[in-house]
Amino acid sequence: MHNVTDYSDLVETVLAKARHEADEAEVYLGVSDHISLELRRRQVGEAEKAVTWAMAIRTITDGHIGASMTMSPARWEDCLNAAIASGRIADPQAWGGLPEPVSFSRDIDVYDPSLIPDADTASDLITSLCKAAENGKAEIAGGGISLGRGSSLIANTNGVFYTHDATSASASLEMINGTSTGFEFDHVSHLSDLDTDKVAKEALFQADYWAGAGGIESCASDIVFAPTALSQLVGGILMPALSGRTVHAGRSFLADKKGVPCMDPSLVLYDDPYEGAGATRWDADGVATQRLDFIGEGTVQSFAYDLRTAYRYGETPTGSAVRSGAGGAPAIGVHCLKLDARHDDVREEKAILAKGLIGAHTANTITGDFSVELSNAACVEGGEYGAPIRSAMLSGNLFDMLADIAGAGEERREIGSMTLPEVRFKNLHIIGTQE
Amino acid sequence: MATEEPRYYDVRHLAGTSTHIDIENGTIESAGQSFADTAIVRALGATGWGMVAIDNFSEAGKSGMMQAVADALALSKVTGERVELADVKTGVLPVPAIKEDPREVSLEEKTEILSSIESAARIPGIVNTRARYIESEGTVWFMNSSGNEYQYESLRSGYSILAVAGRGGEMQQARESEHAITGLNIRHKEEKGREAAERALLLLDAAPARGGTMNAVLDPELAGVFAHEAIGHASEGDLVKEGVSVIKGMIGQQIANSVVSIVDDPTLPEFGFMPVDAEGSAVKRTEIIKNGVLINYLHSRETLAAVGDGEAGHARAEGNSSPIVRMSNTFIENGDATMDEILEGCKTGILLKGSRGGQVDPGRGVFQFNAEYGYLIEDGEQRGMVRDVSLSGDILTTMHNIALCGTDRKMTPGYCGKGGQSVPVTDGAPHILLRNAVVGGRHA
Repeated sequence: MHNVTDYSDLVETVLAKARHEADEAEVYLGVSDHISLELRRRQVGEAEKAVTWAMAIRTITDGHIGASMTMSPARWEDCLNAAIASGRIADPQAWGGLPEPVSFSRDIDVYDPSLIPDADTASDLITSLCKAAENGKAEIAGGGISLGRGSSLIANTNGVFYTHDATSASASLEMINGTSTGFEFDHVSHLSDLDTDKVAKEALFQADYWAGAGGIESCASDIVFAPTALSQLVGGILMPALSGRTVHAGRSFLADKKGVPCMDPSLVLYDDPYEGAGATRWDADGVATQRLDFIGEGTVQSFAYDLRTAYRYGETPTGSAVRSGAGGAPAIGVHCLKLDARHDDVREEKAILAKGLIGAHTANTITGDFSVELSNAACVEGGEYGAPIRSAMLSGNLFDMLADIAGAGEERREIGSMTLPEVRFKNLHIIGTQE
Repeated sequence: MATEEPRYYDVRHLAGTSTHIDIENGTIESAGQSFADTAIVRALGATGWGMVAIDNFSEAGKSGMMQAVADALALSKVTGERVELADVKTGVLPVPAIKEDPREVSLEEKTEILSSIESAARIPGIVNTRARYIESEGTVWFMNSSGNEYQYESLRSGYSILAVAGRGGEMQQARESEHAITGLNIRHKEEKGREAAERALLLLDAAPARGGTMNAVLDPELAGVFAHEAIGHASEGDLVKEGVSVIKGMIGQQIANSVVSIVDDPTLPEFGFMPVDAEGSAVKRTEIIKNGVLINYLHSRETLAAVGDGEAGHARAEGNSSPIVRMSNTFIENGDATMDEILEGCKTGILLKGSRGGQVDPGRGVFQFNAEYGYLIEDGEQRGMVRDVSLSGDILTTMHNIALCGTDRKMTPGYCGKGGQSVPVTDGAPHILLRNAVVGGRHA
């Protein structure tokens, strides 16, 4: 098992050389060990170990920002030279310097020392997963278990040298009954939190319940979005609109909405980088993270900024940089997004509940218009599932929907970097296949 | 059999350089290069696959490679499924000739050329323009325990231009992109920037589409996505083997109107071209549907042995990911209908153009995809422009509802995601007429 601290000397060597070539420099290093077992029906068909190593270098000279990345320690000089060459081409911008080191008063909890990515542990978990999926008609089609341990490091020429250790465990299961499919997953930082039983039972329930699905007539109906469905629209449409880069570049629907009433007054959206599987004390720029309130009291309250976007537009960095940019460079993102709204029993009044969406990524990311096929949707009323729906198309606009929320459920679920409840939206248009 | 020696092993190593350029609103945001060096080693034990994915593989050497084989073999012991591999033909096709090698054009010059496309999109009414260039080049080396070894150079490049039009608080966007395996393709493309900008402006005045069940004409780009999403994925042998394809067990059956023939051909010199597949199998044209009858699935060696009824040579992998069954260049064959016949056959309905992508649940047999824009068709004539229009439906029903195929097949490059891996593909089709299509739009 390797750790980023094994490469501290290399990082110091890179920074020492970079000091002579650029005004400032930064090294970001990530290493990880993963083991994953993949099911083919009820049996494990693949067992894979992955050992990753990646280093990204960023240089800044007179406001010219350059970046490059390599998977080979031996190619660090090529990587540094490429970063400097990259900076020569990029247009210069206002730049106030890489961050200075700070101390962190709070700890985060994303590392489980008992989680070892080994095949035997994964094998035991997959046995539990399959056993819990036995009591129904549906059969296992696929799924798997993945265990990982990773560490990352950021260091810069201003003295920042932070490390971050994290572990992860995930389970997924896909089941099928005729042409009815069910899919469920779980992803946690601590092995003891992984609930293979719940994953199996939910996948089984979906595949069996929707085996009797029928058509629905075109109609207008309240729709309850399960967290799995809502996360696709929030991630694809809402979050890009709250990025400082898209706001200032003129391609965000919310650019002129700060302080303007445009959302349901009960809607709350914020990033709490200390609570969740994506928790981190520092962002991809090495800036200390903090709670960031995006939406509250019916208005947009803040946009997200990484260091370069904040410097360019005279804003304050919000600790929102993540490593998703080209060449391993930082870009704007979220760590542990939380969404809430007025609590209500969202399944009490008659509505259609959608567990998933097919085609959410085809939405118009600028206007918020989308048209998707509902996946594992059913009528709900009185807190109970009613008729399962085989096929229905839903068209709407996410920004309009967020302005008129019927309510949010009590229970929360973490999906990737988001924690969401079930949310009920009013009077949406469904195109059914039963005319 | 003792598991001290693998029944089979292979190694696939990818080392190369990726280049990107990002220009937004006239500012060069970033431009640079990064370096990849990664491999996947697979070994078949007594039962299934053990695999080891390793970054920085170049430094591993022969001993590191054989250690990875041993590690993969040890991992395979936790598998339960007995995997068999079909015997297949091997061989490597020559890589199509490059017209202008982008590696011989400086990053500065490529940035300047891309900038000309981006600036061409900055016309009155446009509030945002963003142009991006991506290039990946490298060497793929493969060897296996059967004595096969090959190496080839891979080079892909392309660009996209996005234009956002704004007026009175309303915004609309349009995008153009082109990707190729035949070399630098960004010279003299300023008209693509203008096209994106002009269409974004037109979309400001387009009406939201009216949803419902209606006749639909799909342009070649969208019909290609339809072929890819609706039938291509369902024909992938791994999905058939796992029981999550709605067309499992239907070989020899009429699953589409007889005017429909669909092919996947990795040998074509298009963006999805492969000189050899990711597990060393020779590639060849595979007819999936011929005159409406399902005749082949797409396979890897493993799925061919398990399922049969198809052709191997369709295993693909992104980077150091494990090879899985994928499409390459997938298209609906030309029919014999003229555009006038298609519009007349539609009578009243909608013409859908361009693609914002799609998705399928092959187990349920349900697909969805979104057009960039469309036009109403009234009395066989093209009328007003509409926006935010999509199409979804049941695969088997919809395949029978393809009434006419045109003669103007075009291929459109793009990327396809499956199992967390993204690979370059090309989709293609002529114009097609679809009866009783479920069209999505915000207005009832």
